[in-house]
Amino acid sequence: MRRTLGEYLRLYFIIETQYIKARMQYRVDFIVSSIGMFFSSLATLGVFWVILQTVPNLAGWSLMEMVFIYAFYMIAISPMQIIFDHAWQIRYHVQQGTFLKYYFRPLNMMFYYMSEMFDIKGLTQFALGIALLIYASIQLHIDWTLTRFMLLLMTLFSAALVQISIVVSAACSAFWVTNSFPVLGLAWRLREFSPYPMTIFDGAFRFTFTYVIPIGFVAFYPSQLFLRPSEVSSLIYFSPFIGIGFFALTYWIWTKGVNSYTGTGS
Amino acid sequence: MRTYIPVIRASFMVGLIYRFGFIFSIIGNIVYLGVAYYLWKSIYGSATTLNGLTFNETFLYVGLGSSIFILLKTYADWLIHHEIQQGTIAVYLTKPINYQLYALSTNFGAMLMNLATITIPTALMLIFVFHVKVAPGAGLFLFPISLFMAFLISFSFDFLVGLMSFYSESVWGISTTKEIIITVLSGALIPLQFFPAAIQKVLFWLPFQAIYHTPLMMITKADLGLQTFLPMLLVQLGWTIALFILSRLFYNQAIKVLRIAGG
Repeated sequence: MRRTLGEYLRLYFIIETQYIKARMQYRVDFIVSSIGMFFSSLATLGVFWVILQTVPNLAGWSLMEMVFIYAFYMIAISPMQIIFDHAWQIRYHVQQGTFLKYYFRPLNMMFYYMSEMFDIKGLTQFALGIALLIYASIQLHIDWTLTRFMLLLMTLFSAALVQISIVVSAACSAFWVTNSFPVLGLAWRLREFSPYPMTIFDGAFRFTFTYVIPIGFVAFYPSQLFLRPSEVSSLIYFSPFIGIGFFALTYWIWTKGVNSYTGTGS
Repeated sequence: MRTYIPVIRASFMVGLIYRFGFIFSIIGNIVYLGVAYYLWKSIYGSATTLNGLTFNETFLYVGLGSSIFILLKTYADWLIHHEIQQGTIAVYLTKPINYQLYALSTNFGAMLMNLATITIPTALMLIFVFHVKVAPGAGLFLFPISLFMAFLISFSFDFLVGLMSFYSESVWGISTTKEIIITVLSGALIPLQFFPAAIQKVLFWLPFQAIYHTPLMMITKADLGLQTFLPMLLVQLGWTIALFILSRLFYNQAIKVLRIAGG
């Protein structure tokens, strides 16, 4: 059964309003989780801050420039955190056999599965990212012309897709190996390297982070476009294709996975 | 003691089921070592020492920190949370065992498994692939004792946080906050010497430095001698005992509020 994008958006809105209403019963949990989110989103930035107390810059990047890159990263990983958080549970559903229920709705399976969870605490990270981006932009005197703003939206969109693809495809390994936790753990650790200046790497690391698992496109390469337009590599103009391409690949892996899943037999 | 040895053995064996996971943890560590290598290389640039540490020492500190990370992360908080939610904690209360020691033994068994499969391979990688030099000295012999105490302190923190599940549903938030505070302030991510002097003073009064900084210093500056290491070990011992007693007292309190749905 085919549905239009509009119908899906309306459905998503209805499902998530109900979900949020249900979650609001646990108000304390929301507050405590938001505090946890606040600390965990700022941890790596804290490390950069400590390092920059000793040396004046990190591979030529000042603290404020690092704040900008980090803010970009926080915004870019938010859609994955907020909308695709259910990816972490695939392994439970596969193991317990409860994954079967997702086959029985006239909806796109990935949509139906991911819509079951809306991570409210992720909004803390998102808001914090926007606040830091504005702060860094003011401090660095970035002139936000309309073109630049459109570029920002476009690169953020692509960065978010890259991040979603990395986590969702790692989670999909559950269809074949059941316990996908170690694979997800690896994807999660890689995520934390995305705000690092890619120029510090060379050889295999740089190649991998640019072409194989393109975490460079989650924050560093797109940020260069706004911080140092003259140093930008022409690769960045392929960024939308990288994002969409990787998501398409992930969707293909997901489809392969759900088609090969046979249930638990009970 | 004899009661708990089978528990240690059993949780060691459980680790074998997840053999597949070790490979990913090791790959994760190798990538981390690589990233840390490039990061610190670029920070050092042409400098030979920063804050009293050479590049080799800093990289050893950070790299070894990442290889013992898996040992010092006990997941006791999640385990207790799970057992309270499922009500299975009641099973232990009816048996003549001490729940704190039981939880400790479970984690100790898992730790031994991780030591053999993840920490040792990562440490070997550090020496043979990244060519890190370890200076001989008294610290090398004290390191295992210090690491064991660090494990006990880390366990006590996780156990304390787990006990909060008796009062609150929200283990994710508390646990994540604890995790971040420990990793950033203990030296797990960055040598404590790099913090500004005023913050360093505060950090050395906190228990977190006893988890990573103390054992890591025994290897990075192994030649410092006993007059430096003995006070460090004593402080660590103090925290180990204090936190162990504190978590026991808290457990005795928390267990009173436990209500489990029947069935």
